[in-house]
Amino acid sequence: MSVADRLPTGSAERAALLGSVLVVVGVAFAASPLTATFPGDLTVFVEIAVLFTVYAILVLGLDLQYGHTGLVNFGHVVFFAVGAYTVAMLASQGSFAGLSLGLPWPLALAASLVTAGVVGAIVGATSLRLRDDFLAIATLAAAEIFHSLTENLEVFGGTTGIFSIPQPLAAAAADYDTTLLVTLLVFGGLTALTYAGLKRLTDAPYGRVLRAIRADELVTRSVGKSVFTYKMQAFVYGAALAGFAGGLFALYNGAVAPTFFTIQVTVTVWIGMLLGGASNHRAVLGGLAVIMGIRLVSRFANDAAPMSSAEFASLRLIVVGMILILVIRYRPAGIWGDAKELGVDS
Amino acid sequence: MANEGHVNRRTFLKVAGGSGLAATAGCIGLGGDSGGTIVLGQPAAQTGQWDFLQPGVSQATDVAIQQINDAGGPLGNELELQRRDTGVDPNEARSVTTQLIENDDAVAILGLFSSEINPLWDFLQEQETPVVTPWPGSNFLDTNGGDHDTPDDLSDDEWVWRTVISDTVHTAGAALRALDQDHDTVGVINGTTEGARSWADGFIEAFEANDGTIAERIEVEQEQSSYQSALDRLFGNDFSAFAVSMPLESATTLLSDWADGEYGRKPILSDPLAQPDLASQVGSALDGAWAASPGQSGPGYDTFESAYQDGGDAEINAWTPPAWDVVNVTALAIERAGEASAEAIEQNLGPVTRGDGTEVSTFEEGQQALEDGDEINYQGAATPVDFTGFGNVVGSVVINEVQGDSFEQVETIPAEDIQEFVPEGEY
Amino acid sequence: MGLAQNVVFGLVTGSYIAIAAIGFTLIYGIVNMINFAYGEYLTIGAFTGVLAAGALPLPLAALAAMVGGGVASLLLAWAFFTPINDTGPVPMLLTSIGLGLVLRNAIRIAAGQGARYYDTTTSTFHLRGLPDLSVGSVDLLGNFFVTSRMLVVVGCAVAVFLVLHALLTRTDIGIAMRAMGDDESLARVRGIDTQFVRNAVWVLAGVLAGLAGVLIGIQTNVNVTTGFSHILQILAAAILGGAGSPYGAIAGSYVIGLVVALSTAFLPSSMTGLSSAMAFLVLVVVLLVKPSGIAGTEVREA
Repeated sequence: MSVADRLPTGSAERAALLGSVLVVVGVAFAASPLTATFPGDLTVFVEIAVLFTVYAILVLGLDLQYGHTGLVNFGHVVFFAVGAYTVAMLASQGSFAGLSLGLPWPLALAASLVTAGVVGAIVGATSLRLRDDFLAIATLAAAEIFHSLTENLEVFGGTTGIFSIPQPLAAAAADYDTTLLVTLLVFGGLTALTYAGLKRLTDAPYGRVLRAIRADELVTRSVGKSVFTYKMQAFVYGAALAGFAGGLFALYNGAVAPTFFTIQVTVTVWIGMLLGGASNHRAVLGGLAVIMGIRLVSRFANDAAPMSSAEFASLRLIVVGMILILVIRYRPAGIWGDAKELGVDS
Repeated sequence: MANEGHVNRRTFLKVAGGSGLAATAGCIGLGGDSGGTIVLGQPAAQTGQWDFLQPGVSQATDVAIQQINDAGGPLGNELELQRRDTGVDPNEARSVTTQLIENDDAVAILGLFSSEINPLWDFLQEQETPVVTPWPGSNFLDTNGGDHDTPDDLSDDEWVWRTVISDTVHTAGAALRALDQDHDTVGVINGTTEGARSWADGFIEAFEANDGTIAERIEVEQEQSSYQSALDRLFGNDFSAFAVSMPLESATTLLSDWADGEYGRKPILSDPLAQPDLASQVGSALDGAWAASPGQSGPGYDTFESAYQDGGDAEINAWTPPAWDVVNVTALAIERAGEASAEAIEQNLGPVTRGDGTEVSTFEEGQQALEDGDEINYQGAATPVDFTGFGNVVGSVVINEVQGDSFEQVETIPAEDIQEFVPEGEY
Repeated sequence: MGLAQNVVFGLVTGSYIAIAAIGFTLIYGIVNMINFAYGEYLTIGAFTGVLAAGALPLPLAALAAMVGGGVASLLLAWAFFTPINDTGPVPMLLTSIGLGLVLRNAIRIAAGQGARYYDTTTSTFHLRGLPDLSVGSVDLLGNFFVTSRMLVVVGCAVAVFLVLHALLTRTDIGIAMRAMGDDESLARVRGIDTQFVRNAVWVLAGVLAGLAGVLIGIQTNVNVTTGFSHILQILAAAILGGAGSPYGAIAGSYVIGLVVALSTAFLPSSMTGLSSAMAFLVLVVVLLVKPSGIAGTEVREA
């Protein structure tokens, strides 16, 4: 492996730089007495944008597992939930329900990464040898089990959830608008850094092995690569990233509850990934933006539509379902994906 | 793929994306109506598992608004209601609330469930807009919310007010009646949703605090095809009555199973279950079962009911009269404040409901009294709406008993009796 | 706590699931996909039945539901699944997830959100006077009861099993199904029209789903989520039994039914809310220990 093989591409370096700058600027802004305001009409967009950055980390992790390694993980929300609940239980101070240990939040955030990774390792060790659709079922079952546990066990706060989680950015910033802006900057920066890291990983020979596994495991094994080890690593990294996103979410929202971690999250992230084009980091971010954008825009469109908002809500979901069906049938490589690369042209 | 294909696709997407954004901007930013309209926002449960309760609440809200507008509206302005579905999902609720406040310019939020308020608490505090809601029974709000008895001082306000009685309190009504009827030992079976658990927790707490014994408590999931195993387990114990708290459809299945199994003993129902559908589906085995329904016996109930009947035919449920109260109390707060802003409403919710002012039960009466220079005390349909420092209300509880295919009122338990039951210091 | 009583309950639950699981597993074995929209096939059956029950006596309404289910299943397959037959199990699974979302919401728009009920009466039969045979706090036998509705459900299930067995062993189409389930290429070589067999499987699965939907609708109610709330149990039963094997699915369904009933009866009372999570736990354990399930069907490992 010569040095040339290990050089990162320009895109990853740019993203790393952008990410670091955003995080630094965001933190500095928060710490300073400066405030920001933006037109009230845009607030809802900024809020959705913050949620987008969190889900973006989820989709990048999932893309590593499916787009690059071919692992069909249909329980991705479980790692998101594990990370969020870890931060909640460790860092919350005197919550109304559930466990609250009051530890410092950086520790909790680091723990969220680790716990999610460990859960990923457990799920992976047990399920990665299964064939594709069975793996999908196993991961789905794991997510449902965890969801059930969070609703029923006291230590997770049951259906109420865990409150009083410290919100470091909100505490530092002067008012709500500033908090939103700063959160967007910092989370956006972290997403860019995640992108940079993953791009570097997948552009390197490591990424080639992953894609070889996705294409044909038997061949890859026959050239001497320990397929299972690579699969485990990809799975655990993806899980750890999802846990990190969960930790960030908890520190932003200040509370967690089972209703934030349902199969809807998994479905949204999957549709975003497939719509954009799996295995292309930028494409999946684009796909996620499109799907979240549709949900947002359609809510405004409800005012113009001649039907009750209950029917409209159902109609919106029908559109989302049809998008999934149509993408798989007519454009399996996604909007920006490369059909040959993914092996879906036939 | 040829380069041309790529360019075409990208151009298409740019155009599509651009026009989408433009259309959105058109819909939102410049659409703001002004001059003569006050907007109130209502997050609604039009989808999700409590959706069968929304039609009654929507109807109550709409007739209240109509009546207020017919009287000229607060400060001579027209009240406009913007209703948006949240599906009882906190992520949706957050965006909907932001949209109502920022894009629709609502000065108050007239809705939100416990499962939306609790996890979004910090967010709601940041909005500094009063949330006056008929829905949440959660015990979290027993000690959070309101203006802490300092109406003028906004710095200690917690902005959330509810016109429905807390689960901790009205379940004491059910507990009181159960003990009154010589049921010293009861069993409890409840679902795992927040509302179902909250009711069961409140009931058990009040029941045990007054020397009752819980023989066994069993939790079951919603939407199961059969509850026979759970019932078999429950009825292995010795008790004379059993409390059921779960969403309506699952409760119908459970009670039908109970009727089939001929287990007997007296069912005590949680208040969302006081629906005629339950009685007609389960049949005669349910005769004599009762529920303790809060919010059906406020001083202004008759006024509400006559207005409500003209507005449609949705069933009245435990949240319908509180929805009426929510609108009236907000409109009166605007009237007293002399301005339609979030802060002004927040400062006036307390003063229009507490104290020794002229008792009024409609907006028109209140508007008249205020014009005459008097203070007012709004008497609501669900309760007298004397907001506590934490934005809670207390009222009497009506016992509805199953007779044939419907529920009939048989008894009213006064508010004073219930307040006795609430453990000291929680109110 | 009576063991016999809970076994009875478990068998009844297992019967509902079995009827549906057979259809589900046939789709898996022969069309080679996990159909996540299958719950909606049950719901369609339940609604067709309740609408027909307004005009027809109940058995005929159930028949109408079965026909409706079969037709709907065939149409949906023709529109959504057959065109992508060659793309592999994962795209088909994802398509079925999308289809499920579309169907649930289309039904919600068409039917509204309220629940509808079948008009039925039930009689209860108690068996008393049996010895308790206690072991600790558990009565092995003891008194128990069955209701007429329970008997109907179990009866339907047994009838389905017998008809299915006859179909699979004595009819050409049934034998062709088994051949395709075992080895599709070989079946094609032998001249079996594989697409025709697949269509037959879709119809059969739809018919079974329709019946299961009506039975569940009678027991509970008919609303948008009637079928969807059972999909995970059906899935667990099919995989537990050995994906693709109808006989395995029957066995798996009764195991799941018994696990759910017994866990409600015997888990510590703070954990009874988890009883349906038990079904998933069983599923996960099976996947880890013996993915080929009870029937030991061949599972191509990754």
